[in-house]
Amino acid sequence: MFIESRELVMRHRIPVSKTAKFWKGLERGKVYKTACRECGREYYPPKADCFCGGEVEWVEIDGRGVVEAFTTVYTIPSGFERSRPYTIAIARFGKVRVMGWADDVSVGDEVTIRTGQDENGVWKVYFEVV
Amino acid sequence: MRVGVIGVGCSKFGRRDDVTIQELSYEAVKEALEDAGIAQDDIDLSVVGSVNTRGYELMPAVPVNEYCGFEDRGPFRVEAACATGTAAIYAACTSIASGMADVAIAIGVEKMTEIETAVSLAIGGRAGNYLWEFHQYGTTFPGYYAMHATAHMARYGTTEEQLAKVAVKAHGNAVKNPKAHFQKEITVEDVLNSRYIAYPLKLYDCSPISDGSAAAILASEERIRELGIDNVVWIESAGYASDTSNMTNRESFVGLKAAVMAADMAYRKAGIDNPVKEIDLAAVHDCFTIAEIMAYEDLRFCRKGEGGRLVENGDTEIGGKLPVNTFGGLKAKGHPLGATGVAMVYEVVKQLREEAGRLQVDLRSNRALIHNIGGTGHFAFVMIFRR
Ligand SMILES: [Zn+2]
Repeated sequence: MFIESRELVMRHRIPVSKTAKFWKGLERGKVYKTACRECGREYYPPKADCFCGGEVEWVEIDGRGVVEAFTTVYTIPSGFERSRPYTIAIARFGKVRVMGWADDVSVGDEVTIRTGQDENGVWKVYFEVV
Repeated sequence: MRVGVIGVGCSKFGRRDDVTIQELSYEAVKEALEDAGIAQDDIDLSVVGSVNTRGYELMPAVPVNEYCGFEDRGPFRVEAACATGTAAIYAACTSIASGMADVAIAIGVEKMTEIETAVSLAIGGRAGNYLWEFHQYGTTFPGYYAMHATAHMARYGTTEEQLAKVAVKAHGNAVKNPKAHFQKEITVEDVLNSRYIAYPLKLYDCSPISDGSAAAILASEERIRELGIDNVVWIESAGYASDTSNMTNRESFVGLKAAVMAADMAYRKAGIDNPVKEIDLAAVHDCFTIAEIMAYEDLRFCRKGEGGRLVENGDTEIGGKLPVNTFGGLKAKGHPLGATGVAMVYEVVKQLREEAGRLQVDLRSNRALIHNIGGTGHFAFVMIFRR
């Protein structure tokens, strides 16, 4: 025997002011990392605070990356209302790695970066195989 | 101060539509108390290990604790994703080792089947860093491990057949474990023919969504002597390490750095140089088949890249060089997050006390290992137990 719980709906408002450059960049086709002027560490996902205490600057990621891992997700979680499977890849661009959606990639493929919106209106990184 | 395990209990794992989280917890607690031959009054502290982002009781420690008869001692709750159970054991152990408690109970419990699968996947996908992973890319939990699988296959030639062999072994053992979720043997073809969840992982490469509970009672050497208990399994050493929340910040995808660090720590403290020779069995984190293959390598059961061959050769079957996941593993026994690590302790205690029935392994060094990973190597615990 079961009873139904009361409904609990949770939708969060996420503060992204300190990484606004990144989120606005996606809408203009640009993907940014941060680099510390003090110690030289690079961050992707970008961090506004380097843990050495140094000041960071925003640097665009471009050129070619190399795919190190990927998967195609067939069993789709709630929040991604779509009928087609999607492919997630991780590619290395110099000192940083980037996660993105791609079509038909394999480990070792060279990719370039672009940005776009998915069915849910979320802006993100996409990869194109070179 | 030496800390020993004096009692263990474990519920039937699976879809437990018959019980609430409180009732489920008590099944394991009752068995552990009876096993130790003590009562609630003998216990100083309880630790409740539960992720419980899927059950209706979002803050379960107090209701669980009360139902089990510990309302006036403890609880504190721990959470380390899929390694929550071992985090509870670790917390109970350190509370005794520090002298803050003489006897402590670790209760691991999870109700995962009360919500629909797509929602469960969306919660599991948040096990890394929500904003930079799930929000943008829909990184499901199978997807995380699947990315490790494609990297491992590309680097070392690991095959889908070798992954399948892990599942076949797990189901083969689970049919002899009445508490396991799955009670059905499968073949390599069954695995290969099952549908993709996240390429290259198929349905039968994945552990099921399960409910379950496990409990372990730990005590100081001095208190064990006072209680007159001689059926004790000692905690010989523990290693714990962690890694980044963002996959993009990992050093590689062919193994879990936190697991390697935790294993090194546990081996060093126990004086173990060659785990294959010096331990009798291991319960490793096989939430997905690739996880078990990486565990073999991270735990130095074989050289890097040879994990696929180790399972293919039968070396990790009961009767092999080093039996792994003799009770069916997370893959077939089930993986109720908070219960998993405590159930691993239950498994090695039963084995080291030679109470594992049809699943009993031969003991030579009277040592066993547990390896419990939270997230995709976000947390890693390795512990060594000795009779
Ligand atoms: Zn810096």
